Amino acid sequence: MYKIFTANICMPSGYAKKFFLIMKITIFIVFLALMHASAAVYSQKITYQEKDVTLKQVFSEINKQTAYNVFWSTKTIKHTPKLNVNFQNVSIEDALNFCLKDLPLTYVIEGKSIIIKEAPAKELPKVPIPEDITITGTVKDQKGEALQRVSISVVGNPKLGTVTDANGRFILDVKNGAVIRVSYVGFQAQTFTVSPDNKLFNIVLVEEVKQTEEVVISAYGRKERKEAIVGSVTTVKPEELRIPASNLTNALEGQVAGVISYQPSGQPGQDNAQFFIRGVTTFGYNKSPLILIDNVELSANDLARLQVDDIASFSILKDASATALYGARGANGVILVTTKEGKIGKATINVRYENSISQSAQALQLADPITYMRLFNEATTTRDPLAPPPFSENKILNTEATLAHAPGSNPYVYPAVDWLGTLFKKSTLTQRADMSVNGGNDLAKYYVSGSYSIDHGILKEDIANNNNNNVNFRNYQLRSNVNVNLTKTTELIVRLDGMFNEYNGPMTSDASFQTDLYNVAVHTPPVLFPAYFPADSANLLTKHILFGNATGAGGGGANSLYNNPYAALLRGHKNFSESRLSAQLELNQNLKFITEGLSFHGLFHTNRYSYWDSQTAYAPYYYNVATYDKTSNQYTLQWLNPKQGDAREYLLYYRNPNSDNLNSYIFFQGIMNYDRRFGDHNISASLIGTQQQTVYSDALNPVTNQQDLQYSLPYRNLTLAGRATYSFKSRYFLEFNFGYNGTERFSANHRYGFFPTIGGSWVVSNEKWWDNSLSEILQRLKFRASYGIVGNDNIGQQRFYYQSNVNLSGGNPASFGTNNGYQLPGVVVNNYANPDITWETSRQLNLGVEFTTLRDLNVIVEVYKYHRYNILQDRTSIPTTMGLEAGITANIGTANTKGIDIQMDYKHSFDKNFWLQGRGNFTFAESTYGKYEEPQYPGNEAYRYESGQVIGRQFGFIAERLFVDDNEARNSPSQIFSTNGVPPMGGDIKYRDLNGDGKIDYHDEAYIGYPTVPEIVYGYGVSAGFKGFDLSAFFQGQARVSFFIDPSRVSPFIQSPDQYIVGNTQLLKAFADNHWSEDNQNLYAEYPRLGVTGNQIENNRQTSTWWLRDGSFLRLKSVELGYTLPKALSRKINVNKCRLYFNGLNLYTWSPFKLWDPELGGNGFAYPIQKVFNIGLNVTL
Amino acid sequence: MKLHYRNLLLIALLLLSAPSCKKYLDVVPDDTGTLDYAFRNRNEAENYLFTCYATLQQFADPTTNVGFTTSSEIIYPNNLTAHPLVETGFNLIRGTQNSANVGLNYWDGENDGKAIYRSIRRCNIMLENIDKPVDLSAAEKQRWIAEVKFLKAYYHYYLVRLYGPIPIIKTNLDITASTEQVRVARAPVDSVFNYIVQLLDEAAPNLPPVISNQAKELGRITSVIALSVKAEVLATQASPLFNGNPDYAGLKNKDGQLLFSTTYDASKWKKAADACKAAIDACTAAGLKLYKFASPAISVPDSLTKVLTIQNAVTEKWDQNSELIWALNPTFPDQGYATPRMTQKSAVNIFSNPSTFAVPITTAELFYTANGVPMSEDNTFDYAGRHNLQVGDNASRFYVQNGYTTIKEHFGREARFYANIAFDGGVWFGNGKTNPSDLYHVEARGNSSLAGPKDLNTLNITGYWPKKLANYLSVYDDGFQPIEFHLPLMRLAGLYLLYAEALNEANGPTPEAFNYIDMVRARAGLSGIKQSWSTYSNNPTKFSTKDGLRAIIHQERRIELCFEAQSGWDLRRWKELQGVLSSPMQGWSIYETDPATYYQPRTVLIPVFGLQNYLWPIKSDDMLVDPNLVQNPYW
Repeated sequence: MYKIFTANICMPSGYAKKFFLIMKITIFIVFLALMHASAAVYSQKITYQEKDVTLKQVFSEINKQTAYNVFWSTKTIKHTPKLNVNFQNVSIEDALNFCLKDLPLTYVIEGKSIIIKEAPAKELPKVPIPEDITITGTVKDQKGEALQRVSISVVGNPKLGTVTDANGRFILDVKNGAVIRVSYVGFQAQTFTVSPDNKLFNIVLVEEVKQTEEVVISAYGRKERKEAIVGSVTTVKPEELRIPASNLTNALEGQVAGVISYQPSGQPGQDNAQFFIRGVTTFGYNKSPLILIDNVELSANDLARLQVDDIASFSILKDASATALYGARGANGVILVTTKEGKIGKATINVRYENSISQSAQALQLADPITYMRLFNEATTTRDPLAPPPFSENKILNTEATLAHAPGSNPYVYPAVDWLGTLFKKSTLTQRADMSVNGGNDLAKYYVSGSYSIDHGILKEDIANNNNNNVNFRNYQLRSNVNVNLTKTTELIVRLDGMFNEYNGPMTSDASFQTDLYNVAVHTPPVLFPAYFPADSANLLTKHILFGNATGAGGGGANSLYNNPYAALLRGHKNFSESRLSAQLELNQNLKFITEGLSFHGLFHTNRYSYWDSQTAYAPYYYNVATYDKTSNQYTLQWLNPKQGDAREYLLYYRNPNSDNLNSYIFFQGIMNYDRRFGDHNISASLIGTQQQTVYSDALNPVTNQQDLQYSLPYRNLTLAGRATYSFKSRYFLEFNFGYNGTERFSANHRYGFFPTIGGSWVVSNEKWWDNSLSEILQRLKFRASYGIVGNDNIGQQRFYYQSNVNLSGGNPASFGTNNGYQLPGVVVNNYANPDITWETSRQLNLGVEFTTLRDLNVIVEVYKYHRYNILQDRTSIPTTMGLEAGITANIGTANTKGIDIQMDYKHSFDKNFWLQGRGNFTFAESTYGKYEEPQYPGNEAYRYESGQVIGRQFGFIAERLFVDDNEARNSPSQIFSTNGVPPMGGDIKYRDLNGDGKIDYHDEAYIGYPTVPEIVYGYGVSAGFKGFDLSAFFQGQARVSFFIDPSRVSPFIQSPDQYIVGNTQLLKAFADNHWSEDNQNLYAEYPRLGVTGNQIENNRQTSTWWLRDGSFLRLKSVELGYTLPKALSRKINVNKCRLYFNGLNLYTWSPFKLWDPELGGNGFAYPIQKVFNIGLNVTL
Repeated sequence: MKLHYRNLLLIALLLLSAPSCKKYLDVVPDDTGTLDYAFRNRNEAENYLFTCYATLQQFADPTTNVGFTTSSEIIYPNNLTAHPLVETGFNLIRGTQNSANVGLNYWDGENDGKAIYRSIRRCNIMLENIDKPVDLSAAEKQRWIAEVKFLKAYYHYYLVRLYGPIPIIKTNLDITASTEQVRVARAPVDSVFNYIVQLLDEAAPNLPPVISNQAKELGRITSVIALSVKAEVLATQASPLFNGNPDYAGLKNKDGQLLFSTTYDASKWKKAADACKAAIDACTAAGLKLYKFASPAISVPDSLTKVLTIQNAVTEKWDQNSELIWALNPTFPDQGYATPRMTQKSAVNIFSNPSTFAVPITTAELFYTANGVPMSEDNTFDYAGRHNLQVGDNASRFYVQNGYTTIKEHFGREARFYANIAFDGGVWFGNGKTNPSDLYHVEARGNSSLAGPKDLNTLNITGYWPKKLANYLSVYDDGFQPIEFHLPLMRLAGLYLLYAEALNEANGPTPEAFNYIDMVRARAGLSGIKQSWSTYSNNPTKFSTKDGLRAIIHQERRIELCFEAQSGWDLRRWKELQGVLSSPMQGWSIYETDPATYYQPRTVLIPVFGLQNYLWPIKSDDMLVDPNLVQNPYW
């Protein structure tokens, strides 16, 4: 093990060099600091002003400011209370007298040494035994609530003590001069010295608010002082994640330094954001971070449904040092969430209710039906001058009449349908409510919460035929966290929670739930048929809706009908039901009876997940106009799908049993912790063992999409991880971590991976020499660095790399016999065995600086460099003549990431009525391919190499401009695409012949644009409060991102490549306004020459810079105005706190791209991202 | 302290509950299927034998068969909006082939080609493991080895026809083979052919001559098939494309090894002729003979019997077709594309049948006159006036609808013309009507006619349909009900003509050669070569020279095997495809309703076919992966 460790640490000479460089700089700075200290002038007076300081800090200050050295033993000053001191040029003696006045301590000065001693010990025999004094008092919190079961103890006499009663009162007999300590969980303890003059106490305990802010939750839910953190951990205040959306992942965008995130769809229940910690740092299989909720690995969906009100802490672990303990699965970063636990005190009830109205953030602009028809005619004749135009002048005139509502016009015979308007509402409502109760005493604490949210989609429903087709996504949750103190040293925690989702939405053409209605609507011609017909004379008694349609869709025949989006909307609905039930038992055992500072934490978790879906639909009846009498304005209808079974009035139920999924998960974890302070030295160590298993009932092989024995076998991980930290005087911190991880997926030789990390930090501002002049500028300064390796076992789709996967009953069938009666299924090799496959590993260097300046401005800047290696990659060097049935893979690839995270926050209270807060963050991450196995390209095609390219950039042609005319197209390098052989014409896109071989083929494709995942994500916001009002705004943006408009799906009039689309694509207004035509021979028009079939415009459908767009944007993500009822008022209505707020989400977007919301990327016809206006009420009882 | 012990116990229990780590991660049970399990017993091994056959059976799809799609006999439009068929192959004659993105790439298995090298690997795996099944009888083992060797040979043969010299895969390379080992080089084309012949020679003796258990095994390889394929392989090797082709004289491997012999070797034709004769003898011994239609139920005039004989030599049920040497198990899937609409219901139900396989005028004109000589040579035929209108009369009522106006060249043609081609005014025996006095005929002028163009996806762009590819009992009316047939890969008539070709090439015109051609002609109702040419041709001694007879044999073969996915291959090996595809492909003016304007030839496709197109390009990226490969000439 040692060998591996040293090898991996020392091998990269570049890092080692830098490490030594840093060491040198550090030594130099330390040296400068020492010089500075020795130059200080010694004085006998001191000036020191601080609140809540320990004696130790005062002594240290004396050491710093004077020539004297104070000596004390930790034991003597251990139980002394904190002081508020204000020395302005006070002599040492006065200062010491003040500090020690109520304490059983005294001092002597010997030369330049001041020795602190226990005073009463010697005096005790001299003074007569003091009489018992009866002390009484009450304990309240800051709000004035009496606190029950607060412990009152006497320092140095553990047998004596009491607790407060229900009214917060206590009574106790103690000796004169005794020091009593008032302590309560969650509050700062206070000590008082009893004297005959001081025996009535009205104590107000202060909540340990400050302390919780300073605590950072790091790996395995360990609470660490922020000061002591060495690795890169970003903590997000749960409040900052609250947006008026029922999906937590949507709140991540721009909120967290180091998280690259974007949201590709706005459909409720289907709107998870994509997120990557420090970008996509590998081109391997799994790029997603590990998500842990209360220490248990869960999915992005579970994170998405989590209620913000239930979150106690939200941390992002980014570098090797922070994630090391998760070695096997931490390479892509870790998101760590803990849920709230009960607090001691009376039951507190918190209720929140929100009601939102949402609408599409940006709507598509389509050309009007008349332009559609005219340009359809143009598209037909511009490609084939002999072809008859599809729309007659008569049809166009009559449609114009329809649009003008002219007398005698008929919108059913000459329809002009706004499909998007027919299908989608302007806005919709969403309700969310959650409630939690928490409380407890020193025996038990509880936190119970429930929430309910209902999200509606913006699809229309028809009263005439209500089929529950709108999106309706309900989420219910119940959570209960109970902490029980079994003994004084044993705490038992039981967490039970259930997450239930019920989705109901429109029918889709594929197995997914992403609605395709936008896509269908945008690909259905507006002028061929109306959504439905009012009954003609023959259909007066017909019960079903007379949906409109036309024959010959897609150029097909009489049986080939178009999609009628309205029928597709109304015909039925699709449901899924998803739930996860988890039970978690934790045990915290303080083992100080073995040795001080030792504790044990045990955890058992299991959950069951279940999912099934179904659909219910009828088959619409389609009609078209058979005859039309213009004079009487009457039409008769013709039934278009009379074939038996094609149309059906009643609903049928359908469920695909293969889509069912059940899985079970079991997780064990044991942690032994040791944490102890020896004077200035603080040592801690942890040893962690975990074991987890997941079993999936569907056992689907993702490649063949069939059930497969190998995928039914349990997925398992074993971990032994450890951490050791050492810190000196809150100045120097050192940390060593390792993960020793096991996975079932590799051969016995590679089953375990060892992933060590090392890190250190230096709080410069805690140094003695950090004097006033320095701290005027920087109130706090901390440097930190970490270096280490972490691994990833989820490197590909293959289940077991050391095992071949052969399907012995299916894949290459053959049949024989006169009527092919004897058939055997054949054998297929899905994977070849490769016992050498091993962990994908990431070597990560992280450097950070944290500082506080201007008193209230906290800044964290981190730079990092990752090197990912052993990325599993297909062996492309094996020629097809080998005849292998499946690709061979090996740990070949490497990738390099560099980036910077900046995080800033500012908080200032000008007076008690007015406060101001600001925060901002910035993330830049760029990953490039390192080693990548690819062929040796010829010299003139060097641009084809993947190595060195930024990960996520797309491959495509470089579009120069449009061809001037047919003649130029003919005489340019040949660019015939696909296999249909249609050459380009004038007005089609001209591509650059990069390799100069006189023909354009994929050898001329190069990397173009930025990656499709943004490289820069940023966000900033301000909030201010004045009295009861608060106002905040948050902006979020992304930059260095590109996307491609998909020409196959946006090109007007042609058939979309989606299987389920039968119809002609509608015309985007931008294309109608600016395209190449014989009359407008603009070589840089928005859209090239029109065409009516995919083959005609195959040339223009290639991925190229023509369709490349800048995906950067800046969004006013949220604005919130809140009003909190004044205490006096809320007290009257028996409410602790009451806040009413209005907020909005995705309010405005600045982007160079105008056709649709740039965040949707190339997927412009997806359910749009929603703009939300919300009103909410939060009441705490 | 008691309490503490209890705590410790609890912790100890928790720790102990974690099972042994080593076993915990060993989740794969024994008996998880690997390739070894495919050869545990006879039944499993038989399954693997079928796996070896799988690719062969996929060759049955005509749209991915180069012999079919580049035959010059069928045009498939490239401007349809619906794409029910694979179009890659049909578009190759439009010049779409390129080395970057190879169409019908049978080397890599891309763009609708099958991955043949995978199939070869499977055959080798079978041969490596055939000794493992414990319950496999020696006789069965011998037969299976022979079958797999045949398949291995045929897969190599399929590649050599497309790519010329190819790497030979005699045995599999281990999966852990070094990069140097896997970088194989192409073998000289004659070595490839010789290896194929060697495998066939090894296979043939251990194969049964005929399948005895037809219900279960029909479609498995017989010795008759192996010998016939061997004849075709040797004829291909002897043909001009591969035999001393000067166009490929410079093609050599990186180490300088020549891949084509530079000199023509006539003895290759002798070997081919001998193999043909051996195959014919084996066929005769197995009871094969030229098919003759004999329907006991319906009495059919002689003129129609001739048509049905020719049609059914292809579309007859395969266990009853006396001249079928070899067909694959999948049936011909595209009858609907070859059948015109002839009933009212079919004209309404256009969606069930696109009828888009269009035959160019040149192919229709390829067929002889009733005198058994080419139209252009027939001294009784007004060749120049062949497009003049003529009205159907009673005499020709079984071929052309009585009283229907069509053109001269649709009259007085040999029976094979009427069996192969459906045309405007042509009579269609079958489609539900088998009473000779009441038959369907095709009406194809203008979009109001039944068979005329209905829309962009259901039209025939030339006005000619490949009638031979539909069984006469298939009915296209209210939907399409096909009577399935297996498109022959080899039939006796083809073998006879191949023998005659080889004899002529080896020895010039000989009675033996005439004999075999005339047998095929006689079955089609034509007189012998000598008699026909002497009497009716304006070049009456054409058959007396080797070149003349070669032209006759080539045309005879193209006529006899028309639409059977043969001429695409034949024209390549003869190096005649470039010439055939040098002129525009034409059809009639299908949107016109008046005969006078309908029968105006209209160009529908200008083929692009250069010298480079005789052989497939190797995908250019393959040469980056395997630097030992060299590209075919002109790519």
